Amino acid sequence: MGSANTNMSLKMPEVDTSVVSRRDDIINRLRQIVPPGPLGEGVIDDPRALRAYECDGLSAYRQLPMVVVLPETTQQVSKILAYCHENGIKVVARGSGTSLSGGALPLADAVMIGLGKFNRVLEMDFDNRCVVTQPGVSNLAISHAVAHRGFYYAPDPSSQIACSIGGNVAENSGGVHCLKYGLTTNNVLGVEMVLMNGEVIRLGGKHLDAGGYDILGVVTGSEGLLGIITEVTVRILRKPETARAALIGFPQVAAAGDCVASIIGEGIIPGGMEMMDRPAIKAAEAFVHAGYPLDVEALLIVELDGPQAEVDYLIGRVQAIAERLGATHFRLSTSDAERENFWAGRKAAFPAVGRLSPDYYCMDGTIPRGRLPEVLTRIAEMSKAYNLGVANVFHAGDGNLHPLILYDANNEGELEKAEAFGSDILKLCVEVGGVLTGEHGVGVEKRDLMPTMFNETDLNQQQRVKCAFDPDGLLNPGKMFPTLHRCAELGRVHVHRGETRFPDLPRF
Amino acid sequence: MQTHFTSAQLQEPGIQTANDILRACVHCGFCLSACPTYALLGDERDSPRGRIYLIKDMLESDAAPTEEVVRHVDRCLSCLGCMTACPSGVHYQHYVDNARIHIEENFTRPWFDRTVRRLIAAVLPYPGRAKLAFRAARLARPFAGLLGGRLKAMLKLVPNTALGETREPTVYPAQGVRRKRVALLPGCVQDVLRSGINDATIRLLTRLGCEVVIAPGTSCCGALTHHLGYDAPARDFIAANVEAWIRELDGDGIDAIVTNAAGCGTVVKDYGHMAADDPALAEKAKRVAGLTRDISELLTELAPLKGVVGDLPPLAYQDACSLRNGQQVTAQPRALLSSVGFDVRELNDGALCCGSAGSYNILQPDIAAALRTRKAAAIGATAAQVAATGNIGCLTHLQVAVEIPVLHTVELLDWATGGPNPLAAE
Amino acid sequence: MKPTSETDVLDAVVAAVADETRLEIAGNGTKRGWGHEVVASEILDLSGLSGITLYEPSELVLTAKAGTPLRAVTAALDEQHQQLAFEPPDFGPLYGAAPDAGTIGGVVGCNLAGPRRIQTGAARDHLLGFRAVSGRGELFKSGGRVVKNVTGFDLSKLIAGSFGTLAAMTEVTVKVLPQPEKIRTLLIFGAGDADAVKAMSTALQSPYEVSAAAHLPAEQAGRSSVSYVSGSGGSVTAVRVEGPGPSVEARLAGLRQQLSGYGDLEELHSSNSRTLWAELRDVAPFLSGANDMIWRLSVPPMSGAEIIADLSLPLEFRHFYDWGGGLVWLSTPAGKLNAASRLRQAVMETGGHATLVRAPDADKRETDVFQPLSSGGGALTARLKDNFDPRRVLNPGRMYRDL
Repeated sequence: MGSANTNMSLKMPEVDTSVVSRRDDIINRLRQIVPPGPLGEGVIDDPRALRAYECDGLSAYRQLPMVVVLPETTQQVSKILAYCHENGIKVVARGSGTSLSGGALPLADAVMIGLGKFNRVLEMDFDNRCVVTQPGVSNLAISHAVAHRGFYYAPDPSSQIACSIGGNVAENSGGVHCLKYGLTTNNVLGVEMVLMNGEVIRLGGKHLDAGGYDILGVVTGSEGLLGIITEVTVRILRKPETARAALIGFPQVAAAGDCVASIIGEGIIPGGMEMMDRPAIKAAEAFVHAGYPLDVEALLIVELDGPQAEVDYLIGRVQAIAERLGATHFRLSTSDAERENFWAGRKAAFPAVGRLSPDYYCMDGTIPRGRLPEVLTRIAEMSKAYNLGVANVFHAGDGNLHPLILYDANNEGELEKAEAFGSDILKLCVEVGGVLTGEHGVGVEKRDLMPTMFNETDLNQQQRVKCAFDPDGLLNPGKMFPTLHRCAELGRVHVHRGETRFPDLPRF
Repeated sequence: MQTHFTSAQLQEPGIQTANDILRACVHCGFCLSACPTYALLGDERDSPRGRIYLIKDMLESDAAPTEEVVRHVDRCLSCLGCMTACPSGVHYQHYVDNARIHIEENFTRPWFDRTVRRLIAAVLPYPGRAKLAFRAARLARPFAGLLGGRLKAMLKLVPNTALGETREPTVYPAQGVRRKRVALLPGCVQDVLRSGINDATIRLLTRLGCEVVIAPGTSCCGALTHHLGYDAPARDFIAANVEAWIRELDGDGIDAIVTNAAGCGTVVKDYGHMAADDPALAEKAKRVAGLTRDISELLTELAPLKGVVGDLPPLAYQDACSLRNGQQVTAQPRALLSSVGFDVRELNDGALCCGSAGSYNILQPDIAAALRTRKAAAIGATAAQVAATGNIGCLTHLQVAVEIPVLHTVELLDWATGGPNPLAAE
Repeated sequence: MKPTSETDVLDAVVAAVADETRLEIAGNGTKRGWGHEVVASEILDLSGLSGITLYEPSELVLTAKAGTPLRAVTAALDEQHQQLAFEPPDFGPLYGAAPDAGTIGGVVGCNLAGPRRIQTGAARDHLLGFRAVSGRGELFKSGGRVVKNVTGFDLSKLIAGSFGTLAAMTEVTVKVLPQPEKIRTLLIFGAGDADAVKAMSTALQSPYEVSAAAHLPAEQAGRSSVSYVSGSGGSVTAVRVEGPGPSVEARLAGLRQQLSGYGDLEELHSSNSRTLWAELRDVAPFLSGANDMIWRLSVPPMSGAEIIADLSLPLEFRHFYDWGGGLVWLSTPAGKLNAASRLRQAVMETGGHATLVRAPDADKRETDVFQPLSSGGGALTARLKDNFDPRRVLNPGRMYRDL
């Protein structure tokens, strides 16, 4: 009875029984720091209630947290962390729990800090073109807050309706408009962050670039391993005067790939350029009814934005390229509502795949664009070999590929098969010159594949950054790195000078 | 999503349904954004995804519901914003209704809680009793300070305007050539609280060539009791209504069953599902559900409406959740209001529930009030001079905090097309 | 030492670690004056590591050895009508070096950015990956060759702008972008600093995708080689738009309308535009008093002009604005250090930072080059340095005296 806990194939750091045995004390102390509010509770310890926090958007891996605390102020976060630091208690932060890499997977001996109550936009500064917000505010809510003045926040991960901006910073989230407007890291100006020892620091602000080391840059995308973000400043952009999207259907995937390469080759950088294959088109269409063609093998959504004159001019060029390459379907949005509907289908494509299969496992490799047809062919072969369906959604503009492996966790052994399939896909991405994860993060999901991309020296140097922030390794351990070394060990300098030294090195 | 029901559990139809619904959920979290309680409380347990999980655990473990689970299920408004947001097609409505019945059958609530819930179920669906209760409530108002949150909340909702009469079964003939014959569900408390809504509906429909029937035997739609988890009385209401309309259908015939209280409309449209396990009623319920239209849907069929009043005030439109999420009716009311000359303004966070949600504002007064405060601020920000919505519950609830008049869409449409000015009566 | 391969570099650093000697890391040394004096026993000259190792225009990516001259990179990109969109400045002349002599590694190490920073970002935003030898004597890599990559910590950000104090870069991979078809600049004549900042803010809040906005007070404007700018006799505010022809025309028309209230308007076409923005990018044409101290202030865009006004600087202080007001270049006569602390204080209050980009060595000994850090930030910075270069082998003291 009851749910299985953490999947057995995944090793998490050994549970510290001395912490678990102090659970009651820990809960009491947390209740002192975050007392219950008039409407909700600050500390959650009931095992049945903790169930709601056992996983994020990657539900294949589950673990009940030791306790969940929902602070409302930076000061509370600081006190919680200082207390945990003093007492050697691990901490896992969680925003909206939409991570697809298990970045917010709890630990049995860790305090989970939910940031859902940090849900206010603090300042809209149009003159300096930025917004200061609490981290629990959703990505889309920032754009909504500034929409009345014609502004928006550019990075738009598909889960933007729900994912929190704090989570976006932690994961360096991308979106469908990255090629032109950049990822989170290119759009975050500053954060307030609490370090594991409880110290509150501010990085960046309303100005550009760092005065010293770009610590904000390395914190962005650090997956909750370096600190807990309690405030974020992002830059906002004025909405383009016009934006139009084209649906372009092709009878072969390769032709769609050529179309993408030709558009970029001609010097056009579209606001967004996305590709879906037949199964993905079918699932998305079933939810959104965007009018996607169902008789094509690959569908491109190409959005051009800017002044009317520019959009008209570029659409003409894109249409000419598409026709030259044998597109069988070309439809332009005629209104903003229609354009948004084109995107709605794409943005809901992952969960919509839930209509095709009870579970899906979403991959996130990035490849050089030119290798797309080859990679898709190999994925199709793997799909046959593993006997698991796959739907492909692709940020074509920037080479970020999302194969969604369809499986049913209720069938014994299927999850393991899906994992093996996924790992083969990611290895393939690295093999063709790409990377393991384009925007979802390493989390627990791709952690053990890190050595396919990085050798031990590379990984150790990354871990040393962690040591600078959290030398005891208490923040979100078990994520990102396949093996955890002690900072003391990593800090040692191994002098290995010897016979290899080039004696003929030219010297001044 | 992976589920862990035993094969024995899966024999139960309730569990089978829950299992089917759960399997569609991929735990993506898109629903969090659409959930008013999550927006307010920031706690996963007060989000649709969290509730789905808590309920899943409750059903899988076959244990009695814990207070914890009950608290978070109770906090759900059933606004169904999550269903509109869900890309995977999770039927949260059926899932949570199922859970409510499970809780009612397997959990003993504290005495006071039980009493309030029973009181609501025993009074509100019956117009006569409701009227008596509202009168009593007015008398009790001076003592409100002595009462607990829930009773105080109830007293607040009772309007100061005159209480209406219960509407008797009758037929209102069409003006001019008859285009349609429609049955109107007058609603249980609606006529007592604000008879103007049904009056306006009937005036507008008859003016547009509809014969309007109040069918003998119709009563409360069953929504209130159903959402409290009281299965048996809800089924009685459903049976009575279905039979009443079938008599009418098979008699002089009707083209549509029209509802102007969105909460009722959603439930009547779902009669087919609700009576599916009752062989005597199932087919008839399906027929009834298939014919049911919200007033704005019917008016759209009868359009164009002709606006005859110049200089109408700017208007803020608030979607009733039961209309937006329960029936996916969003464009029609806006289009109708615009077509007769209103400047229709959208609210920030317009998709979030106002906190009314049937009897929710009585059972969860603090959350309901907090949501109302947010909504009132959003309405205020539009600088509109009148607010419109498609449900009596929202209207009464909002009016407590909103400074401009809150009216039913149909009252405003009636006015703009030649009916009396409802603002004059305010 | 002038290594010619990555292994050489590794070897040199390993030797330094073992011998407990210190290395000054340099490319062509054009920006050696940026930062405190480095006390090192040897210079590790990386200019021998030269050459583009990968350039795939359709993938918008280029990899080059760290010592590759920037002009070689630019020439290769020009052939394909592509560019480094962050417009790396040529600061060589600012330090008395020959023009056009910098390396791609130097560009990254100093995290350079030109006027397009406000639209496209700085070197940090375009560095996709790198290989380097840390101060521990270990060769490591980070990032990759694709735009979208969150695999592991983003060490590219940390290495960009670390002035060779964390690792000696051996190879960098950068994102490249198409060159715009057309460039136009709208000039506004005669606006004071405060009005100019307002005008630039208006332009940047417009939907016309302004790619740069700068303001030259009268004296600086007079130094431009573009006659439209120097000949006006007063201050000049410049707003740039780039893109496909029809788009540029439409946007210019829109901007003209929005900005007409700020002063007389004039338009620069492509060639003059390129000249003006290169001057603004490289700074030297405007602030080149050979002995002056030169400050670079990064502040919230609306604060730059306020800071300058509040400081009520003496006449011999000169300044101009880039980044829509968010970047202030300021030159002060050498030795005027009491102004430095007032300046730093004023900048700190906005959350921004001031860097003493150039100063005589004597002055640099008396003040900090980089904005002094808060206690928390300082400790973190020290721990980061410790974790890359525990023995302080690489560029010791260049950014902060004690690191």
